[in-house]
Amino acid sequence: MSKVYVGMSGGVDSSLTAALLLEQGYDVTGVYMKNWTQDLPGMKCPWADDLADAKRVAVQLGIDFKVFDFEAEYKHKVVDYMIDEYKAGRTPNPDIMCNQEVKFKLFLETALEDGADMIATGHYARVEGGVLKQAVDSNKDQTYFLYRVSGDALSKTLFPLGEFTKPQVREMAKERGLYTAAKKDSQGICFVGKVGIREFLSQYVEQTPGEIIDKVTGNVLGHHDGAIFYTLGQRHGLELGGGLPYYVVGKSMDKNEVYVTTDLNDGSLWREDVTLASVHFINQAPEAGEYDIRVRHRAPLVKAQVSFEGDDIKLHINNAERAVAAGQSVVMYSGDICLGGGIIV
Amino acid sequence: MSSDFIYLDHAAATPMDSKVLTAMQPYFSELFYNPSSPYSPAISVRRDYEEAKHQLAQSIGAKQDELVMTAGATESINLAFGSIKGHVVTANIEHHAVLAAAQIRDHTLVESDARGFISAESVKLAIKPTTELVSIALANNELGTIQPLRDIAQVVKQEREARLGRGDTTPIYLHTDASQGVGQIDINVARLGVDLLTLNAAKIYGPKQVGLLWAASGVRLSPQIVGGGQESGIRSGTENVAGVIGFATALSLASEHRKYESERLTVLRDSLQSQLLAAFPEAVISGHPKHRLGGHLHISFPDLDAERIVFALENRRVLVATGSACAANFGTRSHVLTAIGLAPEVADGSLRLTLGHLSTEENTSEAARIIIEEITREYNRTTK
Repeated sequence: MSKVYVGMSGGVDSSLTAALLLEQGYDVTGVYMKNWTQDLPGMKCPWADDLADAKRVAVQLGIDFKVFDFEAEYKHKVVDYMIDEYKAGRTPNPDIMCNQEVKFKLFLETALEDGADMIATGHYARVEGGVLKQAVDSNKDQTYFLYRVSGDALSKTLFPLGEFTKPQVREMAKERGLYTAAKKDSQGICFVGKVGIREFLSQYVEQTPGEIIDKVTGNVLGHHDGAIFYTLGQRHGLELGGGLPYYVVGKSMDKNEVYVTTDLNDGSLWREDVTLASVHFINQAPEAGEYDIRVRHRAPLVKAQVSFEGDDIKLHINNAERAVAAGQSVVMYSGDICLGGGIIV
Repeated sequence: MSSDFIYLDHAAATPMDSKVLTAMQPYFSELFYNPSSPYSPAISVRRDYEEAKHQLAQSIGAKQDELVMTAGATESINLAFGSIKGHVVTANIEHHAVLAAAQIRDHTLVESDARGFISAESVKLAIKPTTELVSIALANNELGTIQPLRDIAQVVKQEREARLGRGDTTPIYLHTDASQGVGQIDINVARLGVDLLTLNAAKIYGPKQVGLLWAASGVRLSPQIVGGGQESGIRSGTENVAGVIGFATALSLASEHRKYESERLTVLRDSLQSQLLAAFPEAVISGHPKHRLGGHLHISFPDLDAERIVFALENRRVLVATGSACAANFGTRSHVLTAIGLAPEVADGSLRLTLGHLSTEENTSEAARIIIEEITREYNRTTK
């Protein structure tokens, strides 16, 4: 009987994952990854409750339950990475980094060392013969977050939820009477939660006032408290008063300046040619040609011409995409297969 | 509470007695007046409030003006500790409310023995010339061990007399938190020989956030909460009339039924204990074999994870407390279990089962049956 370690977060998805694998005859152990425990002003980190919920479900299922403490590594590999990227003026995706470095590396390695044959998580994705495929529920598909995981790791991974829609998952959890069946889904980046990235970053970087400048006229329109807090395409939080809404179209980290415009058609808001670095393919690199891509989680797939230049990818998007920011990931698909992708420079 | 649970955690909270609720109810609505107001309906409420305090004082053999009403036991303990300046002696198995109050002062912790018992001799050794307060709970909240307060009172009295004999005016007082024992032990302050006593309505089928500090007439208390000067200036804030009325009713009911209830719970507890020990001879009972609260059972199942058992029992509609750590604060075991020297693998499998008004012969043996099934399941799982 194959021994599977299931990452249990205390949510309904990973709870049902453990239940389904147990029903399929696996020898299941639940594992809570203790990655982050810090409270933020206005948000108590719910890790202790989540851990208790995960454990309650493990007890319901009668399976072993363990806690893996990855706090130090998570801080180093995910949180510090995110803060450094923002400091460099980019817009990183910590969830992608968490999957790459923690869930499908550290957790996998620790589980295997502890006697597991495989790991499983509650991600909405499918793996077939080491190939990553989109989930049946296209509304929930999480392959965008998984494109930097290695094929080797995926060959030791089970994603039983990839075959189901979220409503089905809720229903199946309810049918089984799982303790977490009605628990609300978590929102946003796990350690930032509902307070928002700005409040999170404020804990780590100094607020330095700078100017908000109209890109067209060069006029100073107002002041901000740090260019780090602004992202391309952002509309809210500029506090420039009435009139037409302003959008961020650029910023200078050196000068601590944020450039805005009211022109929705401004060239820097729309991009059709994009270069990707830190390229990662789950299996072998594909040939140049036309592929489906997405520039953010849950964005519809769009067509792009892909070519290679050294270690980088050159993308020509058929219909320009809005607010494509440096640091963000672009993920490539062929049919329902997630091939990999890279990070916008 | 929904009646399909079997509740075995009376040391944590008790359901309010219907007589207590009935006594309190008018003071939430038609008798809402501020007892300090000058008109007759308010004066009548003031009289009822004073009468309730009088009743409370009588229940512990004290005078009404020696009571300060507080919002629960923790505040009462803080008031007692806040009133002294010198060194404090308490025990390493005390409740966090006492330990935290001691830790911000010069203090010595007396070590408990393996039964959770604090000997008068060990208290005597810990007393220094600067000691102004000795604080030992009447009964330990985790183990149920009843402390030899009268003997400890003798030690404190001897120290006081010795100081007087050499012309030393440093006072020394004995404080006890009697919250846990009051339902089952006579708490006449004179017989106990204490100078300060804390009580809590919530543990005796009364309202939460209602407590008192009794201080013998010679003890000068320092207000920790200042304001309008209520409670003789020691504890400001508009009187919790309904709460104090409920407390008085709860305490007289507790006194009235003490003997019967204590014996009843002892019989139930002994039966529960022997059923569990028969099924699991390796289980460890903690607490004093003789001086222990009647409804209290602290039992450890070596090598099991108590938090799992609590969750499993909840699924079977039985509510119990872990006597140990939960996974979220892994590594910080109960200070009481560490203090009595329980091995970690024993401490981590500890349950605290506390019986009370909701316990019957029927639901206690039903609980025993379910606990045995769930513990067996856990042992089978861990040894598979």
